[in-house]
Amino acid sequence: MSAKGIVLAGAAMLLAVGSVAPAIAQGVQIDPALPRYAAVSGVSGNVKSIGSDTLNNLMTLWAEGFQALYPNVKIEIEGKGSSTAPPALVAGTAQFGPMSRPMNQREIDAFQQRFGYPPRAVRGAVDALAVYVHKDNPIQCMTLQQVDAVFSRTRRGGHSTEITTWGQLGLTGEWANRPISLYGRNSASGTYGYFKEVALFNGDYRDSVKEQPGSSTVVQGIASDRYAIGYSGVGYRTADVRAVPLATRPGERCFEANAENAYAGDYPLARFLYIYVNVNPNQPLDPLRRELIRFIYSRQGQEATVKDGYFPVTQAIAEEDLRAMRIIN
Amino acid sequence: MNTAPAASLPESARDANASLRRAISETRRRNAGKVRLAGLQGAGEPWQWCLGGALALGILMVLGLLLLVFWNGLVTFWPRPIEQVRLHDGTVVAGEPVRSQTFRPGQEVLAALDPAPRSGIERNDGMAARTLYRTGNYDLYGDDFRWLPDYEIAEVSRPWDLMLVERMEWGVFVGRIVAISSGGQRAPVGDVRSPDLIKRHEEARRRWQSIRALERGEIGAVNHRLEQERLRLRRASLANPEGGTALDAARQRFAEREAALKAQHQVLADRASGMRRAHEGDLVVLADAAGREKEMPLGAIVRFYPANDLSLAERLGVYLSRWGEFLLDEPREANTEGGVMPAIFGTFAMTLLLVLVVTPFGVITALYLREYARQGRLVSIVRISVNNLAGVPSIVYGVFGLGFFAYILGGSIDQIFFPERLPNPTYGTGGLLWASLTLALLTVPVVIVATEEALAAVPRSMREGSLACGASKWQTIRNIVLPRAMPGIMTGVILAMARGAGEVAPLMLVGVVKLAPELPIDGYFPFVHLERSFMHLGFHIFDVGFQSRNSEAGKPMVFVTTLLLIALIFAMNVSAILLRNRLKRRFQGSQF
Repeated sequence: MSAKGIVLAGAAMLLAVGSVAPAIAQGVQIDPALPRYAAVSGVSGNVKSIGSDTLNNLMTLWAEGFQALYPNVKIEIEGKGSSTAPPALVAGTAQFGPMSRPMNQREIDAFQQRFGYPPRAVRGAVDALAVYVHKDNPIQCMTLQQVDAVFSRTRRGGHSTEITTWGQLGLTGEWANRPISLYGRNSASGTYGYFKEVALFNGDYRDSVKEQPGSSTVVQGIASDRYAIGYSGVGYRTADVRAVPLATRPGERCFEANAENAYAGDYPLARFLYIYVNVNPNQPLDPLRRELIRFIYSRQGQEATVKDGYFPVTQAIAEEDLRAMRIIN
Repeated sequence: MNTAPAASLPESARDANASLRRAISETRRRNAGKVRLAGLQGAGEPWQWCLGGALALGILMVLGLLLLVFWNGLVTFWPRPIEQVRLHDGTVVAGEPVRSQTFRPGQEVLAALDPAPRSGIERNDGMAARTLYRTGNYDLYGDDFRWLPDYEIAEVSRPWDLMLVERMEWGVFVGRIVAISSGGQRAPVGDVRSPDLIKRHEEARRRWQSIRALERGEIGAVNHRLEQERLRLRRASLANPEGGTALDAARQRFAEREAALKAQHQVLADRASGMRRAHEGDLVVLADAAGREKEMPLGAIVRFYPANDLSLAERLGVYLSRWGEFLLDEPREANTEGGVMPAIFGTFAMTLLLVLVVTPFGVITALYLREYARQGRLVSIVRISVNNLAGVPSIVYGVFGLGFFAYILGGSIDQIFFPERLPNPTYGTGGLLWASLTLALLTVPVVIVATEEALAAVPRSMREGSLACGASKWQTIRNIVLPRAMPGIMTGVILAMARGAGEVAPLMLVGVVKLAPELPIDGYFPFVHLERSFMHLGFHIFDVGFQSRNSEAGKPMVFVTTLLLIALIFAMNVSAILLRNRLKRRFQGSQF
């Protein structure tokens, strides 16, 4: 079901129209070059997915869409954090390992040691990791260095002082002397790892960060705490929180966490969301996994991405990944 | 000074009141000449007050929690009115008001306001009110909830023709039904209650359901047979790694069957896609409050109603139909909508299996410990260990279940019985069987302790009587001891069941998943699939509450699901208690 009445973006690469600003938010447009998925015969069996909880809902939506086409396929989804994906792939307990960060070298090595070839990644969606504040918070812009000084005790970003109150971020009035209350993810999460790497410049988190078990829990925490700040996927935004526009360096422009800025690379915390698969380069992929990957890269699959609040990938990315997995030539 | 009166009670006292009175007067006599308070303490009155107070507090807290869950769970599905809000800047928004709060608008917000509302806020100590509206229409605006401050609102109305449309995808739509279009012909809908619209919607829903039935049933069966053939071929190639005539025969057989099944599949798939085309051609045009239009298949609408124009009976109808969907349907949209049928079934099946495993296991252990084992140091150690097991954190059982049952036991079963499916595990991963066994381990101390107590309570005279009549020890246990201990054993099982059904943490490791719409029982051989992962109401609550995209929309579902879980456990407990009472009655008359 495609949204009617949305103007198609002309350029093939830039698909996003409209902003996700709360006042005049619009739906995100999908690359018109992405093919509609058509069912083929002989697909059935079980698949299990173990991994990221950021991708938990998206995997579920894909599974629901896929099962509507192939009623005999059973897809089970477990999402407790990206770090649970590589061991599950290595042990063979899961066929799909969704991760919100790329695998690190150690994880790839462990996989390669067992199978003799590296795992392949499906880049199924684009996420803009958002820094959320309470909806009443008037803050207009933050630089990555400020984010680092708020969340990190090592301050690798180079900000000169620790930031512990909202006044230090330029807020006045009742906000000036209020301490900043920090919310974040637990260490099994890929979001935790990605934020540490990019926003904290590989520094260490402060001990006062309240670690939450899920992406949605971070948002709920911020919604009930007026002086809070935290990070979570852009898909988890609710009416109770606001995403702060971010700038890469002091003095630069701040960019909203929306699709346009994520594609253009302007938003500093934009990332791909990956689904890792065990693809033996010497054998054709079994029909079930092949079709599920093709479904993810189809129009319906990317509509599910939009439905879950993330940004869809383009046909160019889809072709690149499908070719790497020898699904198309 | 304070000899407890109970300690001095003669054990054979028949009249508890009389002995208590005697004890009190004795204590008074002993405490004569001391302060008065001692007498009061001796009588145990402050203690009674403390105990009574604690009980009252406990009951109050439990009732409060239950009331909260009940109230929030029961009102969730009640259809609420829709308000159409016109803002000062001309925007029109429509939605269900969810809740209101007061807040302190920031300086820059105040500075941008007109003088009239600003002075209003200043008179009110700088506080303003705002309302959260469930606006829906996520596909059009990328939002389903929106806060609207009072000072932005110019006018609130409740137009009678605003509809709440529940859809299969993208959540609810708030707006109007403009037209129905099929085959390019657009017929405007004037009256939202027109029988024509309702009839066509029912037809479209029936068509959608028959598409699903066709895909699930007939196409599903073909796919299943095809998969079986593929596995058979794989088994043959594993059995004959060198090739040979057997493998060739298997290959040939597979090719024949595959061709036949694929042809069958093609016929069915053509039928299904024809129906799908009809489904997608039968459209309805919706328009939101601001006039933006959206076209979608009529069959993808679950239900629609004019929220501001409902009689009480119609409201009740919507309410009940929503409950029906919740109880009987599968979840949609990553578990935030639709029903929880697979989760109800999973919870029930797991608890039942747990009882089937834990009862014999616990009862046999207790029987041996109490009746056969020589009471000594070893038995004491075993008993202490059993009691300590009850105190081990449940997540530890989960880790054990995953490591021992799923990976070691299940992995070996896969190697021996399902080599053709590897590397995809069959039993070598979490599933219903392993989850039940893990929970059985977790709850077995409860059953052992309760059974031991029940066995100990059977009077010695009865055993001796039976033995004196010439019955063997086993005959005595079977015919005299066990039946009389049965109510006590049942109590243990009930406790174990209640604990098991409410446990979530270990289950997350051994087989409960976010989405597993396939029930563990279906029409394909061997009909009961204990290796399948399953959904569980407790985990569903966790998932919807903490993992769903829109936590605002998930909140009411959390309450409804909690209500359901409590009701399910309550129903299972009540039936077990009824069973126990029947057993008790049976032996009441036969006491010596």
